[in-house]
Formats: sequence, structure tokens, C-alpha cells
Amino acid sequence: MKHHFSVAVGPTGFRIGAAWRAPIAALEQLYAAYPKPEEGLADFTVRLEPQTRLRLWLRPSVAINGDFMLPDALPLPLAQGVLAAEMGMNLQMAMGQRHFLLLHASSVERDGKALILTGESGSGKSTLSALLGERGWRFMGDEFALIDPVSGLAYPFPRPISLKNEAIAVMTDALPADRFGPLLPGTPKGDIRHMIPAFSAIAAMSVPARPALILFPRFGYAADVRDMGGSEVFVRLTQASTNYVALGERGFDALSNLVTQVPARAIDYPDTENAVALVEKLWAEYT
Amino acid sequence: MAQSPENKDITAPTRRHLLQLGALGATAVVTVRPALAQTAGSILKCEIPVPDPARSAQYIAADGRLVAPGTPGAFAGAYRPFKGEDVKRALAGGTLPGTSATQSQAYVNYIRRLQAGQSGFTCYASLQMPR
Amino acid sequence: MRRDVEALYAADPRTGFRICPLDSLTAYYHRRSGVTHVVADPVPQILTALHGTPLSLEALLAHLVAADGLIITEDSKAALAERLEELCTIGLVLRI
Repeated sequence: MKHHFSVAVGPTGFRIGAAWRAPIAALEQLYAAYPKPEEGLADFTVRLEPQTRLRLWLRPSVAINGDFMLPDALPLPLAQGVLAAEMGMNLQMAMGQRHFLLLHASSVERDGKALILTGESGSGKSTLSALLGERGWRFMGDEFALIDPVSGLAYPFPRPISLKNEAIAVMTDALPADRFGPLLPGTPKGDIRHMIPAFSAIAAMSVPARPALILFPRFGYAADVRDMGGSEVFVRLTQASTNYVALGERGFDALSNLVTQVPARAIDYPDTENAVALVEKLWAEYT
Repeated sequence: MAQSPENKDITAPTRRHLLQLGALGATAVVTVRPALAQTAGSILKCEIPVPDPARSAQYIAADGRLVAPGTPGAFAGAYRPFKGEDVKRALAGGTLPGTSATQSQAYVNYIRRLQAGQSGFTCYASLQMPR
Repeated sequence: MRRDVEALYAADPRTGFRICPLDSLTAYYHRRSGVTHVVADPVPQILTALHGTPLSLEALLAHLVAADGLIITEDSKAALAERLEELCTIGLVLRI
């Protein structure tokens, strides 16, 4: 590839190659504070390529390729190249990561203990982790929580936070401009703007934490807390995991331990301030 | 209910509750399937309702916005959700099954406007994203 | 009563599972297939009963009554046959 960029996020090294300079320059800016992969070795490769040679110049669009590919994934406009790289990195993690049980979840740490927030797209888990990361918690990741099947510890994957739509203003109002990437309007997920995690969170990207509370947030409802049976938690976490089935018995053991040892609650919240208050209340109650 | 040492000699079954077999035709097993489709093929099996079931009475205008039922030029919602595969074809310029060209365009515009949290959004997003 | 042709049922050997009781449901990881099943009562009781000792439908029913306090109704035999069929289909129980 003509242009490339390597970066370590948590325990994983990525190498991103691109046919254009622009997405690489954007990545360099976004990931300026991140280390390079150890000994220069990347676990995963992502390639941003034109779908056809003509698309290199003419209304350039980015197809995402790599070790794992979705053959039918629609290409993105070149201006959304960073998003394409992020999607490619997510896909490599989701399909290829075999060392950890991967949960689609955001996570934050305090006093060595991890809070895991998991829910569907739109549950607000990403915004919530970004906000908590600025209020006394260590941001561990907004996309994947990595559970080590041997120790049961949660490892960080603190890539830049992908803020969507209304969540963008919540954070840009609170933080200086140099914490943000450019606004990407009109992506398949709406407007997206990346937020760079606190420097201390990036610096501690290889420090794990013991899971202490799992929350299933739901945005847009009156504040409420609901108990969950172990079976509901178990099944929902299998669905939140991208590689539970692929990990086989190791996955089962990791998940059983998580479900039987860590309290879990479903929470509803009308706005982020309510959510933060609920999180603090439950954290005091259960840890 | 935990038993105290005093009522050890109780003769009733010592199980927590009496066992029942469940109704005929009911199932007692849920099998865990992979959450992330391992191939694009299975990703395309997801569905998008038009509109969201919570707003099924509303019509869909040509630009995809939801409008009051009976609005001229707008279309009633689709009877059945569309398959991811059909939507993908329509996004690439095709027509949704069982719809006219303008109706299909209105529905596709509705789908393009889907936001996080609305029914079908995850499916729409997964058509272009690995999640 | 038992006819010679009557089928016997056996659980896949106990070592073939990892078991995690959750609440009223129990998670079973089936090593041979690599598949996880979340099951309701009376499946754990059936698998325990059929572990090591193959039983006929009648004998299993009697065992569940004696060991687990199973409540017998007029549908019991048919319902148990259904549960066993379900367990055979996913390979947790073998018909021998």
C-alpha cells in the first residue's frame, strides 16, 4: 500500500494501509498519543482501497479490506476514511481476536475495579463512558471490553470514542477542541465525531481491572433500575459478544465466571446527568 | 428456602420446589447462536420494519419522513419488514419487493433516516458495518 | 411391563458438559458439539438421572417422581417424551 500507519490500542497492534494519504493523516492526528505496536508487529491489518481503480480519483470511495472481510460491505466516501479504518479495526477484532472474550461494551475503571456497560447501539454506553472518563473514572474503551478467560480481568481497548449525533455536543461543550477529531457528517450512523480519551487513559492502556459491576443501560426512559436473573445476563452477554461461540469452552468458563461473580442491573435513564447519578449510586451500593 | 437443622425430619421432597415437566409443545432449551454473523450472508438475514412498529399507523412521505395517515403523496407502511438483503439491493438502486418505484424510494429514504434506537437501525447499520 | 423393543435413553457422559446454574435456568456447555444450551427444569434432573444409567421413558418418569418430586399429570408421559426428543435432537441425550 502506498501509505500506512501502525498503532497499538490496548493489547492489540494494528497496521492500516491506504491508497490515499488523507485517511492516514487523519489517523496520525487522532492517534498521536498512542504507542506503536511492540517490536513493530501488528496483530491485524486493515486496507483502505478504492473499489475499482477509477475510484482512486473519481468520487473516491473507500472499500474496507483486511485479514477478515465482509465481501458485501458498502464503500464509504473518502472523507469518512477514518470511520472506514475504525470499522476495519472493529471487524478484525470481532472476527480475529482469540485471546480474549470480546464484549460489545464500554468500560471504565475506579479503584482497580471495572464497570462494564453493555447494550445495543443507541443505549448510550459510549457517551456514558466518555463522560465518566472525564469525571474521576479511567476510560477503558467505548467499543469492546476484553475479558481474559484465565484471570477474569477486563483489559482496556481505549481507542478514540466514536460520538454520534446528539452526543457530540454533550462532549464538545465540556472539553477543549484539541480533544476532538473532525466532524464526519452524514455517515451511515449519522454524524460522527471522534473524541480522544484522556492522556492518562491512553497511558494506562495495558493495565487491566477486575470487573465489579455490569450495567445494561437504556436511553430515553424515566430513571429506573431493574434486577436481572443470571440467565438473562448470561444470554444477553452471549449476544453482546462477538466471539463467544468461537472461543468454545474458554468462552463458556469466562462468561459463567463473569455472570456468577459480578452483579448486573438494567438501568433506564432520560439523560446523561441522570445516568451518571445512577451509575454512582449503584457503584456505591455494589462495590 | 433453606432448611434449618430442626426440620430435618420433614418427609416432603427436599427439593426447593416440586418439579413439573412443562406444557406439551413448550420448549425447555434455548441454544446460544453466534451473535455476530460469521458471513455477510447471515448479516443480510436481519430485518427492517417500515415504519417502526410503534408508529405503524403513520404514513411515509417521499423524503422518508413520517407524516399523518392519509397525507397525499405519502405511503402507508409496509405490511411486513424488509429483509436486509432486499434493502441492500434497494440502496444500490433496486426496488423493494412488492412496492412501486416511488413507494420504494420513500421507504428507502425512511431507512436512510433511521437513527440509533429505532427498529431496524441495527440491521441498516450492519449492512455497511461489521456490527 | 417393559417391552424388549422399548428405547433406552442415556445422557452424554457427564464429563461431556460444563454446567453453570444461573437462576431457574442452567447453562450447559456441550463439549462434543461446542454448543451452549440454556435449559429449564426438568432438563438438569433428566440429565442427572440418565447419567451412567440408561433408562426407559417409564423408568425415567418413575425416577423423577421419586428423586425430584415430579408431579404426575395425565400429560406427563407425553411431555417427558417431548423433552427427551428435544434433548436427542441437540445431542445431549442419546437413544440407545
